Amino acid sequence: MVGLGQERREGIGRKPDSRVTLLLLFLVSFFFLLSSLYAAEASVFRKARESALEVASPVLSVFAGPAAFIQDRIGSVRDYFAVLEQNKALREENAALREWAREARSLRTIVATYEDLGAYRAPPPIAPINAFVVGETNDAFAHSMILNAGRKDSVARGQAVVDAEGLIGRIVDVSNSASRVLLLTDVQSRVPVYVEGAEIEGILAGRTSSRPTISFVLSADVSALEAGQTVFTSGAGGTLPRGLPIGEIVRPSAERAEVKLAANFAKTRLVRVINYEFTGLSEDVLEEGADSTDGIEEVGGADENAASAVAPNASVEGVTPVTPASTEASTTSDGAE
Amino acid sequence: MQDRAENLTRYVKAMTPTVFGLIGVLLLASPLRLVEGLVPIPLIPLVVVYFWSIYSPSYLPSVSVFAIGLFQDLLSGGPIGLWPCIYLFVQYLVLSQRSYFHGREQRVVWLGFTVAAVFSSFILWAVMSMLAGFPLPAWQLVIQMTSTIAVYPLVANGFAELHRRVIVEV
Repeated sequence: MVGLGQERREGIGRKPDSRVTLLLLFLVSFFFLLSSLYAAEASVFRKARESALEVASPVLSVFAGPAAFIQDRIGSVRDYFAVLEQNKALREENAALREWAREARSLRTIVATYEDLGAYRAPPPIAPINAFVVGETNDAFAHSMILNAGRKDSVARGQAVVDAEGLIGRIVDVSNSASRVLLLTDVQSRVPVYVEGAEIEGILAGRTSSRPTISFVLSADVSALEAGQTVFTSGAGGTLPRGLPIGEIVRPSAERAEVKLAANFAKTRLVRVINYEFTGLSEDVLEEGADSTDGIEEVGGADENAASAVAPNASVEGVTPVTPASTEASTTSDGAE
Repeated sequence: MQDRAENLTRYVKAMTPTVFGLIGVLLLASPLRLVEGLVPIPLIPLVVVYFWSIYSPSYLPSVSVFAIGLFQDLLSGGPIGLWPCIYLFVQYLVLSQRSYFHGREQRVVWLGFTVAAVFSSFILWAVMSMLAGFPLPAWQLVIQMTSTIAVYPLVANGFAELHRRVIVEV
Protein backbone atom coordinates (compact mmCIF):
# COMPACT_ATOMS: atom_id res chain seq x y z
CA MET A 1 0.00 0.00 0.00
CA VAL A 2 2.33 2.67 -1.23
CA GLY A 3 1.09 6.15 -0.53
CA LEU A 4 -1.27 5.09 2.20
CA GLY A 5 -0.43 6.24 5.66
CA GLN A 6 1.44 9.21 4.35
CA GLU A 7 0.18 12.49 5.64
CA ARG A 8 1.06 16.08 5.28
CA ARG A 9 0.24 18.08 8.31
CA GLU A 10 -0.85 21.44 7.05
CA GLY A 11 -3.94 22.87 5.39
CA ILE A 12 -7.59 22.03 5.58
CA GLY A 13 -8.33 18.44 6.53
CA ARG A 14 -4.69 17.79 7.28
CA LYS A 15 -4.56 18.50 10.96
CA PRO A 16 -3.51 15.55 13.07
CA ASP A 17 -6.60 14.22 14.80
CA SER A 18 -6.75 14.69 18.50
CA ARG A 19 -7.58 11.77 20.75
CA VAL A 20 -9.22 14.19 23.19
CA THR A 21 -11.85 15.21 20.60
CA LEU A 22 -12.57 11.54 19.96
CA LEU A 23 -13.13 10.77 23.63
CA LEU A 24 -15.21 13.90 24.10
CA LEU A 25 -17.44 13.02 21.14
CA PHE A 26 -17.70 9.45 22.41
CA LEU A 27 -18.92 10.74 25.76
CA VAL A 28 -21.43 13.00 24.01
CA SER A 29 -22.75 10.03 21.96
CA PHE A 30 -22.90 7.91 25.09
CA PHE A 31 -24.90 10.60 26.84
CA PHE A 32 -27.29 10.79 23.86
CA LEU A 33 -27.65 7.03 23.92
CA LEU A 34 -28.40 6.92 27.64
CA SER A 35 -30.93 9.70 27.33
CA SER A 36 -32.71 7.98 24.43
CA LEU A 37 -32.72 4.66 26.30
CA TYR A 38 -33.80 5.82 29.73
CA ALA A 39 -35.59 9.13 29.28
CA ALA A 40 -38.52 10.36 27.27
CA GLU A 41 -37.41 11.37 23.80
CA ALA A 42 -36.38 15.00 23.72
CA SER A 43 -38.24 17.12 21.21
CA VAL A 44 -34.91 18.27 19.81
CA PHE A 45 -34.15 14.65 18.79
CA ARG A 46 -37.50 14.42 17.04
CA LYS A 47 -36.89 17.69 15.22
CA ALA A 48 -33.47 16.41 14.16
CA ARG A 49 -35.04 13.16 12.87
CA GLU A 50 -37.61 15.08 10.89
CA SER A 51 -34.96 17.34 9.37
CA ALA A 52 -32.86 14.31 8.40
CA LEU A 53 -35.94 12.76 6.74
CA GLU A 54 -36.65 15.97 4.87
CA VAL A 55 -33.06 16.26 3.62
CA ALA A 56 -32.63 12.59 2.72
CA SER A 57 -35.98 11.81 1.10
CA PRO A 58 -35.30 13.55 -2.28
CA VAL A 59 -31.97 11.70 -2.55
CA LEU A 60 -33.60 8.42 -1.54
CA SER A 61 -36.33 8.94 -4.16
CA VAL A 62 -33.58 9.13 -6.81
CA PHE A 63 -32.12 5.81 -5.55
CA ALA A 64 -35.56 4.20 -5.28
CA GLY A 65 -36.49 4.74 -8.95
CA PRO A 66 -33.85 2.53 -10.61
CA ALA A 67 -34.06 -0.03 -7.78
CA ALA A 68 -37.80 -0.42 -8.38
CA PHE A 69 -37.25 -0.67 -12.14
CA ILE A 70 -34.77 -3.54 -11.74
CA GLN A 71 -37.00 -5.32 -9.22
CA ASP A 72 -39.91 -5.03 -11.65
CA ARG A 73 -37.89 -6.60 -14.46
CA ILE A 74 -36.77 -9.48 -12.22
CA GLY A 75 -40.35 -9.84 -10.99
CA SER A 76 -41.78 -10.12 -14.50
CA VAL A 77 -39.24 -12.79 -15.47
CA ARG A 78 -40.29 -14.75 -12.39
CA ASP A 79 -43.97 -14.28 -13.29
CA TYR A 80 -43.48 -15.99 -16.68
CA PHE A 81 -42.52 -19.18 -14.90
CA ALA A 82 -45.44 -19.04 -12.49
CA VAL A 83 -48.12 -17.90 -14.93
CA LEU A 84 -50.14 -21.14 -15.01
CA GLU A 85 -50.18 -21.47 -11.26
CA GLN A 86 -51.14 -17.82 -10.79
CA ASN A 87 -53.89 -18.15 -13.38
CA LYS A 88 -55.44 -21.08 -11.51
CA ALA A 89 -55.21 -19.27 -8.15
CA LEU A 90 -56.77 -16.13 -9.63
CA ARG A 91 -59.65 -18.07 -11.16
CA GLU A 92 -60.42 -19.67 -7.80
CA GLU A 93 -60.19 -16.32 -6.06
CA ASN A 94 -62.47 -14.78 -8.67
CA ALA A 95 -65.13 -17.40 -8.04
CA ALA A 96 -64.95 -16.77 -4.29
CA LEU A 97 -65.16 -13.02 -4.83
CA ARG A 98 -68.24 -13.38 -7.06
CA GLU A 99 -69.88 -15.21 -4.21
CA TRP A 100 -68.97 -12.34 -1.89
CA ALA A 101 -70.28 -9.76 -4.35
CA ARG A 102 -73.65 -11.50 -4.34
CA GLU A 103 -73.71 -11.46 -0.55
CA ALA A 104 -72.60 -7.82 -0.43
CA ARG A 105 -75.42 -6.79 -2.74
CA SER A 106 -78.05 -8.35 -0.50
CA LEU A 107 -76.37 -6.82 2.56
CA ARG A 108 -76.45 -3.40 0.95
CA THR A 109 -80.22 -3.38 0.94
CA ILE A 110 -80.29 -4.37 4.61
CA VAL A 111 -77.79 -1.63 5.50
CA ALA A 112 -79.83 0.91 3.53
CA THR A 113 -82.87 -0.04 5.60
CA TYR A 114 -80.94 0.54 8.82
CA GLU A 115 -79.55 3.81 7.55
CA ASP A 116 -83.09 5.03 7.00
CA LEU A 117 -83.73 4.65 10.73
CA GLY A 118 -83.11 7.88 12.58
CA ALA A 119 -80.75 6.39 15.16
CA TYR A 120 -77.96 5.73 12.68
CA ARG A 121 -75.10 8.14 12.15
CA ALA A 122 -72.51 7.33 9.51
CA PRO A 123 -68.88 7.11 10.70
CA PRO A 124 -66.63 9.91 9.43
CA PRO A 125 -65.41 9.16 5.91
CA ILE A 126 -61.80 8.05 5.58
CA ALA A 127 -59.56 9.69 3.00
CA PRO A 128 -56.51 7.46 2.59
CA ILE A 129 -53.27 9.11 1.49
CA ASN A 130 -51.35 7.24 -1.18
CA ALA A 131 -47.55 7.18 -0.88
CA PHE A 132 -44.52 5.40 -2.27
CA VAL A 133 -41.87 3.71 -0.14
CA VAL A 134 -38.66 5.60 -0.95
CA GLY A 135 -36.49 4.27 1.85
CA GLU A 136 -36.27 1.56 4.46
CA THR A 137 -34.00 0.69 7.31
CA ASN A 138 -31.68 -2.07 6.24
CA ASP A 139 -30.63 -2.65 9.80
CA ALA A 140 -30.55 -5.90 11.74
CA PHE A 141 -32.76 -4.54 14.51
CA ALA A 142 -34.52 -1.32 13.50
CA HIS A 143 -37.38 -1.91 11.07
CA SER A 144 -38.93 1.12 9.43
CA MET A 145 -39.80 2.53 6.01
CA ILE A 146 -39.65 6.06 4.64
CA LEU A 147 -42.62 7.33 2.62
CA ASN A 148 -42.72 10.25 0.21
CA ALA A 149 -45.78 11.82 1.84
CA GLY A 150 -45.57 14.19 4.78
CA ARG A 151 -47.26 16.96 6.67
CA LYS A 152 -48.23 18.78 3.49
CA ASP A 153 -50.23 15.69 2.43
CA SER A 154 -51.84 15.75 5.92
CA VAL A 155 -49.94 12.71 7.22
CA ALA A 156 -49.71 12.79 11.02
CA ARG A 157 -48.03 10.77 13.76
CA GLY A 158 -49.88 7.63 14.84
CA GLN A 159 -51.73 7.02 11.57
CA ALA A 160 -51.97 3.44 10.31
CA VAL A 161 -50.21 2.44 7.09
CA VAL A 162 -51.52 -0.42 4.95
CA ASP A 163 -50.45 -2.00 1.70
CA ALA A 164 -52.60 -4.14 -0.60
CA GLU A 165 -52.37 -7.10 1.81
CA GLY A 166 -52.80 -5.53 5.22
CA LEU A 167 -51.42 -3.33 7.97
CA ILE A 168 -47.66 -2.74 7.80
CA GLY A 169 -47.19 -0.29 10.66
CA ARG A 170 -47.82 3.23 11.85
CA ILE A 171 -46.37 6.67 11.30
CA VAL A 172 -43.81 7.72 13.93
CA ASP A 173 -41.99 10.70 12.37
CA VAL A 174 -43.39 13.25 9.96
CA SER A 175 -41.51 15.96 8.13
CA ASN A 176 -42.98 18.34 5.60
CA SER A 177 -42.75 16.02 2.59
CA ALA A 178 -41.70 12.64 4.03
CA SER A 179 -42.62 10.35 6.91
CA ARG A 180 -41.37 7.24 8.66
CA VAL A 181 -43.42 4.10 9.29
CA LEU A 182 -42.48 1.94 12.25
CA LEU A 183 -43.07 -1.58 10.93
CA LEU A 184 -44.96 -4.22 12.93
CA THR A 185 -41.74 -6.24 13.24
CA ASP A 186 -39.77 -3.50 15.04
CA VAL A 187 -39.15 -4.14 18.76
CA GLN A 188 -40.73 -0.81 19.59
CA SER A 189 -43.99 -1.59 17.75
CA ARG A 190 -47.10 -2.29 19.89
CA VAL A 191 -50.49 -2.58 18.23
CA PRO A 192 -53.77 -3.56 19.96
CA VAL A 193 -55.37 -6.44 18.03
CA TYR A 194 -58.18 -8.97 18.19
CA VAL A 195 -58.39 -12.48 16.85
CA GLU A 196 -61.46 -13.22 14.76
CA GLY A 197 -63.06 -16.53 15.61
CA ALA A 198 -61.50 -16.72 19.06
CA GLU A 199 -62.86 -13.24 19.94
CA ILE A 200 -59.96 -12.32 22.18
CA GLU A 201 -57.88 -9.18 22.40
CA GLY A 202 -54.18 -8.71 22.86
CA ILE A 203 -51.18 -6.60 22.04
CA LEU A 204 -49.14 -7.37 18.94
CA ALA A 205 -45.46 -6.72 19.72
CA GLY A 206 -42.56 -6.78 17.27
CA ARG A 207 -39.57 -9.01 18.01
CA THR A 208 -37.30 -8.11 15.03
CA SER A 209 -38.03 -11.49 13.42
CA SER A 210 -40.50 -11.59 10.54
CA ARG A 211 -43.27 -12.83 12.85
CA PRO A 212 -44.43 -10.55 15.67
CA THR A 213 -46.23 -12.11 18.64
CA ILE A 214 -49.48 -11.33 20.42
CA SER A 215 -49.48 -11.15 24.20
CA PHE A 216 -52.96 -11.80 25.50
CA VAL A 217 -54.91 -10.08 28.20
CA LEU A 218 -54.59 -12.11 31.43
CA SER A 219 -58.30 -12.75 31.64
CA ALA A 220 -58.55 -13.80 27.99
CA ASP A 221 -59.94 -17.24 27.23
CA VAL A 222 -57.39 -18.66 24.81
CA SER A 223 -59.05 -22.07 24.47
CA ALA A 224 -60.71 -21.08 21.19
CA LEU A 225 -57.42 -19.96 19.71
CA GLU A 226 -56.36 -21.91 16.62
CA ALA A 227 -53.74 -21.63 13.93
CA GLY A 228 -55.10 -19.95 10.82
CA GLN A 229 -57.44 -17.50 12.56
CA THR A 230 -57.29 -13.96 11.22
CA VAL A 231 -55.88 -11.08 13.26
CA PHE A 232 -57.27 -7.53 12.94
CA THR A 233 -56.55 -4.23 14.64
CA SER A 234 -58.89 -3.84 17.59
CA GLY A 235 -59.01 -0.06 17.61
CA ALA A 236 -58.35 -0.10 21.36
CA GLY A 237 -56.90 3.15 22.56
CA GLY A 238 -58.44 4.95 19.63
CA THR A 239 -55.22 5.47 17.71
CA LEU A 240 -55.94 3.02 14.88
CA PRO A 241 -59.26 2.20 13.22
CA ARG A 242 -60.80 -1.15 14.09
CA GLY A 243 -60.74 -4.00 11.62
CA LEU A 244 -57.58 -3.51 9.54
CA PRO A 245 -56.32 -6.98 8.56
CA ILE A 246 -52.88 -7.89 9.95
CA GLY A 247 -52.24 -11.58 9.36
CA GLU A 248 -53.02 -15.03 10.67
CA ILE A 249 -52.21 -16.95 13.82
CA VAL A 250 -49.48 -19.56 13.75
CA ARG A 251 -48.32 -21.64 16.70
CA PRO A 252 -50.68 -20.41 19.42
CA SER A 253 -49.91 -21.03 23.10
CA ALA A 254 -51.49 -19.99 26.40
CA GLU A 255 -49.63 -16.70 26.79
CA ARG A 256 -48.83 -15.68 23.26
CA ALA A 257 -49.21 -16.52 19.60
CA GLU A 258 -47.03 -15.82 16.60
CA VAL A 259 -48.59 -13.95 13.71
CA LYS A 260 -47.74 -14.52 10.07
CA LEU A 261 -48.15 -11.08 8.56
CA ALA A 262 -50.33 -10.67 5.49
CA ALA A 263 -48.03 -7.96 4.12
CA ASN A 264 -44.73 -8.91 2.54
CA PHE A 265 -42.35 -6.07 3.39
CA ALA A 266 -39.91 -7.09 0.66
CA LYS A 267 -42.57 -6.28 -1.93
CA THR A 268 -44.27 -3.28 -0.34
CA ARG A 269 -43.89 -0.26 -2.57
CA LEU A 270 -47.22 1.59 -2.81
CA VAL A 271 -48.92 2.14 0.54
CA ARG A 272 -51.93 3.97 1.95
CA VAL A 273 -51.82 6.06 5.07
CA ILE A 274 -55.18 5.82 6.83
CA ASN A 275 -56.17 9.31 7.82
CA TYR A 276 -58.16 8.29 10.87
CA GLU A 277 -59.25 10.40 13.74
CA PHE A 278 -60.83 8.95 16.84
CA THR A 279 -63.88 11.11 17.18
CA GLY A 280 -65.10 9.80 20.51
CA LEU A 281 -68.68 10.63 21.21
CA SER A 282 -70.06 13.98 20.24
CA GLU A 283 -72.11 15.97 22.75
CA ASP A 284 -75.49 15.31 21.12
CA VAL A 285 -74.82 11.57 20.95
CA LEU A 286 -74.00 11.52 24.66
CA GLU A 287 -77.21 13.36 25.42
CA GLU A 288 -79.18 11.00 23.23
CA GLY A 289 -77.49 8.04 24.88
CA ALA A 290 -78.66 9.33 28.25
CA ASP A 291 -82.24 9.43 26.95
CA SER A 292 -82.35 6.02 25.35
CA THR A 293 -80.08 3.07 25.90
CA ASP A 294 -80.53 1.63 22.42
CA GLY A 295 -78.92 4.55 20.61
CA ILE A 296 -75.55 2.87 20.52
CA GLU A 297 -73.13 4.17 17.95
CA GLU A 298 -70.34 2.21 16.38
CA VAL A 299 -67.44 4.28 17.61
CA GLY A 300 -64.50 4.23 15.26
CA GLY A 301 -66.48 1.92 13.01
CA ALA A 302 -64.65 3.09 9.97
CA ASP A 303 -64.57 -0.33 8.46
CA GLU A 304 -67.21 -2.94 7.69
CA ASN A 305 -65.32 -5.45 9.82
CA ALA A 306 -65.78 -3.19 12.78
CA ALA A 307 -69.19 -4.57 13.52
CA SER A 308 -68.14 -8.19 13.21
CA ALA A 309 -66.68 -8.60 16.67
CA VAL A 310 -67.49 -7.02 19.98
CA ALA A 311 -64.61 -6.05 22.24
CA PRO A 312 -64.71 -7.76 25.62
CA ASN A 313 -64.48 -5.38 28.52
CA ALA A 314 -60.88 -6.08 29.32
CA SER A 315 -58.12 -3.69 30.19
CA VAL A 316 -54.40 -4.36 30.17
CA GLU A 317 -51.26 -2.23 30.10
CA GLY A 318 -53.25 0.94 29.81
CA VAL A 319 -55.16 -0.22 26.76
CA THR A 320 -58.89 0.22 26.96
CA PRO A 321 -61.11 -1.39 24.34
CA VAL A 322 -63.18 1.11 22.42
CA THR A 323 -66.68 0.79 23.69
CA PRO A 324 -69.26 3.53 23.71
CA ALA A 325 -68.38 4.14 27.33
CA SER A 326 -64.72 4.96 26.71
CA THR A 327 -63.89 8.62 26.59
CA GLU A 328 -61.34 10.45 24.54
CA ALA A 329 -58.91 10.14 27.43
CA SER A 330 -58.12 6.63 26.25
CA THR A 331 -56.66 7.95 23.02
CA THR A 332 -53.51 8.91 24.85
CA SER A 333 -52.33 5.34 25.31
CA ASP A 334 -49.83 4.90 22.53
CA GLY A 335 -47.75 1.74 22.47
CA ALA A 336 -45.12 3.12 20.15
CA GLU A 337 -44.12 5.91 22.49
CA MET B 1 -8.06 33.15 -8.20
CA GLN B 2 -5.83 30.15 -8.62
CA ASP B 3 -5.32 30.06 -4.89
CA ARG B 4 -9.00 29.91 -4.33
CA ALA B 5 -9.45 27.07 -6.82
CA GLU B 6 -6.63 25.18 -5.15
CA ASN B 7 -8.17 25.72 -1.76
CA LEU B 8 -11.52 24.49 -3.05
CA THR B 9 -9.95 21.36 -4.53
CA ARG B 10 -8.15 20.67 -1.29
CA TYR B 11 -11.36 21.17 0.63
CA VAL B 12 -13.31 18.78 -1.62
CA LYS B 13 -10.57 16.16 -1.29
CA ALA B 14 -10.57 16.52 2.48
CA MET B 15 -14.33 16.02 2.51
CA THR B 16 -14.31 12.90 0.28
CA PRO B 17 -14.10 10.23 3.03
CA THR B 18 -16.88 11.92 5.02
CA VAL B 19 -19.04 12.11 1.89
CA PHE B 20 -18.43 8.41 1.23
CA GLY B 21 -19.53 7.65 4.78
CA LEU B 22 -22.72 9.65 4.30
CA ILE B 23 -23.43 7.96 0.95
CA GLY B 24 -22.95 4.63 2.72
CA VAL B 25 -25.62 5.67 5.21
CA LEU B 26 -27.99 6.67 2.38
CA LEU B 27 -27.35 3.31 0.74
CA LEU B 28 -28.37 1.64 4.02
CA ALA B 29 -31.63 3.59 3.93
CA SER B 30 -32.52 2.92 0.30
CA PRO B 31 -34.96 0.17 -0.66
CA LEU B 32 -32.53 -1.87 -2.78
CA ARG B 33 -33.96 -5.20 -1.52
CA LEU B 34 -31.26 -7.38 -3.02
CA VAL B 35 -32.79 -10.79 -3.81
CA GLU B 36 -36.12 -9.78 -2.24
CA GLY B 37 -34.48 -8.49 0.91
CA LEU B 38 -32.65 -11.73 1.67
CA VAL B 39 -29.19 -10.22 1.21
CA PRO B 40 -28.69 -7.33 3.64
CA ILE B 41 -26.86 -4.19 2.49
CA PRO B 42 -23.28 -4.13 3.81
CA LEU B 43 -22.34 -1.47 6.37
CA ILE B 44 -20.21 0.69 4.09
CA PRO B 45 -19.80 3.45 6.75
CA LEU B 46 -18.03 0.93 9.00
CA VAL B 47 -15.56 0.21 6.19
CA VAL B 48 -15.05 3.96 5.64
CA VAL B 49 -14.37 4.57 9.33
CA TYR B 50 -12.01 1.61 9.64
CA PHE B 51 -10.12 2.24 6.41
CA TRP B 52 -9.45 5.96 6.81
CA SER B 53 -8.72 5.62 10.53
CA ILE B 54 -5.87 3.27 9.67
CA TYR B 55 -4.38 4.97 6.66
CA SER B 56 -5.21 8.63 7.04
CA PRO B 57 -7.15 9.65 10.13
CA SER B 58 -6.60 13.32 9.35
CA TYR B 59 -9.00 12.88 6.43
CA LEU B 60 -11.65 11.44 8.69
CA PRO B 61 -11.58 13.39 11.96
CA SER B 62 -13.71 12.24 14.89
CA VAL B 63 -16.22 14.98 14.12
CA SER B 64 -16.85 13.39 10.71
CA VAL B 65 -17.20 9.95 12.29
CA PHE B 66 -19.65 11.41 14.79
CA ALA B 67 -21.62 13.09 11.99
CA ILE B 68 -21.81 9.88 9.92
CA GLY B 69 -23.04 7.91 12.95
CA LEU B 70 -25.55 10.55 13.93
CA PHE B 71 -26.92 10.73 10.38
CA GLN B 72 -27.36 6.96 10.42
CA ASP B 73 -29.24 7.13 13.74
CA LEU B 74 -31.49 9.91 12.53
CA LEU B 75 -32.30 8.14 9.27
CA SER B 76 -32.83 4.66 10.72
CA GLY B 77 -35.05 5.88 13.55
CA GLY B 78 -33.08 3.92 16.15
CA PRO B 79 -31.89 5.32 19.49
CA ILE B 80 -29.82 8.49 18.99
CA GLY B 81 -26.15 8.08 19.85
CA LEU B 82 -25.86 4.36 19.10
CA TRP B 83 -24.00 4.47 15.79
CA PRO B 84 -21.72 7.39 16.77
CA CYS B 85 -20.73 5.31 19.82
CA ILE B 86 -19.97 2.26 17.67
CA TYR B 87 -18.06 4.15 14.97
CA LEU B 88 -16.06 6.23 17.47
CA PHE B 89 -15.25 3.06 19.40
CA VAL B 90 -13.98 1.45 16.19
CA GLN B 91 -11.94 4.56 15.42
CA TYR B 92 -10.42 4.52 18.90
CA LEU B 93 -9.64 0.82 18.57
CA VAL B 94 -7.99 1.34 15.19
CA LEU B 95 -6.03 4.45 16.18
CA SER B 96 -4.56 2.64 19.15
CA GLN B 97 -3.39 -0.22 16.87
CA ARG B 98 -2.47 1.93 13.89
CA SER B 99 1.27 1.41 13.95
CA TYR B 100 0.71 -2.35 13.98
CA PHE B 101 -1.40 -2.29 10.82
CA HIS B 102 0.91 -0.06 8.80
CA GLY B 103 2.82 -1.95 6.15
CA ARG B 104 1.05 -5.21 6.97
CA GLU B 105 -0.48 -7.46 4.37
CA GLN B 106 -4.08 -6.82 3.40
CA ARG B 107 -5.11 -10.13 4.91
CA VAL B 108 -4.02 -8.94 8.34
CA VAL B 109 -5.89 -5.66 7.92
CA TRP B 110 -8.94 -7.64 6.83
CA LEU B 111 -8.68 -9.78 9.95
CA GLY B 112 -8.49 -6.57 11.98
CA PHE B 113 -11.68 -5.40 10.30
CA THR B 114 -13.35 -8.69 11.23
CA VAL B 115 -12.43 -8.11 14.88
CA ALA B 116 -13.77 -4.53 14.71
CA ALA B 117 -17.00 -5.78 13.10
CA VAL B 118 -17.45 -8.38 15.85
CA PHE B 119 -16.96 -5.75 18.56
CA SER B 120 -19.43 -3.40 16.83
CA SER B 121 -21.98 -6.19 16.46
CA PHE B 122 -21.75 -6.97 20.13
CA ILE B 123 -22.33 -3.33 21.16
CA LEU B 124 -25.24 -3.04 18.72
CA TRP B 125 -26.82 -6.27 19.93
CA ALA B 126 -26.36 -5.42 23.62
CA VAL B 127 -27.86 -1.93 23.32
CA MET B 128 -30.82 -3.03 21.19
CA SER B 129 -31.52 -5.97 23.53
CA MET B 130 -31.49 -3.56 26.46
CA LEU B 131 -33.94 -1.36 24.61
CA ALA B 132 -36.20 -4.32 23.76
CA GLY B 133 -36.00 -5.80 27.26
CA PHE B 134 -35.11 -9.30 26.09
CA PRO B 135 -32.14 -10.82 24.21
CA LEU B 136 -32.83 -10.27 20.52
CA PRO B 137 -32.24 -12.93 17.88
CA ALA B 138 -28.85 -12.17 16.37
CA TRP B 139 -28.93 -14.05 13.08
CA GLN B 140 -29.90 -11.02 10.97
CA LEU B 141 -26.98 -9.11 12.46
CA VAL B 142 -24.65 -12.03 11.80
CA ILE B 143 -25.70 -12.12 8.14
CA GLN B 144 -25.27 -8.37 7.73
CA MET B 145 -21.83 -8.33 9.37
CA THR B 146 -20.74 -11.35 7.33
CA SER B 147 -21.75 -9.58 4.12
CA THR B 148 -19.87 -6.45 5.28
CA ILE B 149 -16.74 -8.47 6.06
CA ALA B 150 -17.07 -10.25 2.71
CA VAL B 151 -17.17 -7.02 0.68
CA TYR B 152 -14.42 -5.33 2.72
CA PRO B 153 -11.47 -6.27 0.43
CA LEU B 154 -13.36 -5.04 -2.64
CA VAL B 155 -14.48 -1.75 -1.12
CA ALA B 156 -11.17 -1.13 0.66
CA ASN B 157 -9.24 -1.68 -2.60
CA GLY B 158 -11.46 0.88 -4.30
CA PHE B 159 -10.91 3.33 -1.46
CA ALA B 160 -7.14 2.69 -1.55
CA GLU B 161 -6.96 3.46 -5.27
CA LEU B 162 -9.03 6.58 -4.81
CA HIS B 163 -6.98 7.72 -1.85
CA ARG B 164 -3.68 7.18 -3.65
CA ARG B 165 -4.63 8.61 -7.03
CA VAL B 166 -7.04 11.39 -6.22
CA ILE B 167 -6.96 12.47 -2.61
CA VAL B 168 -3.26 12.42 -1.77
CA GLU B 169 -1.84 12.29 -5.32
CA VAL B 170 1.56 10.71 -4.79
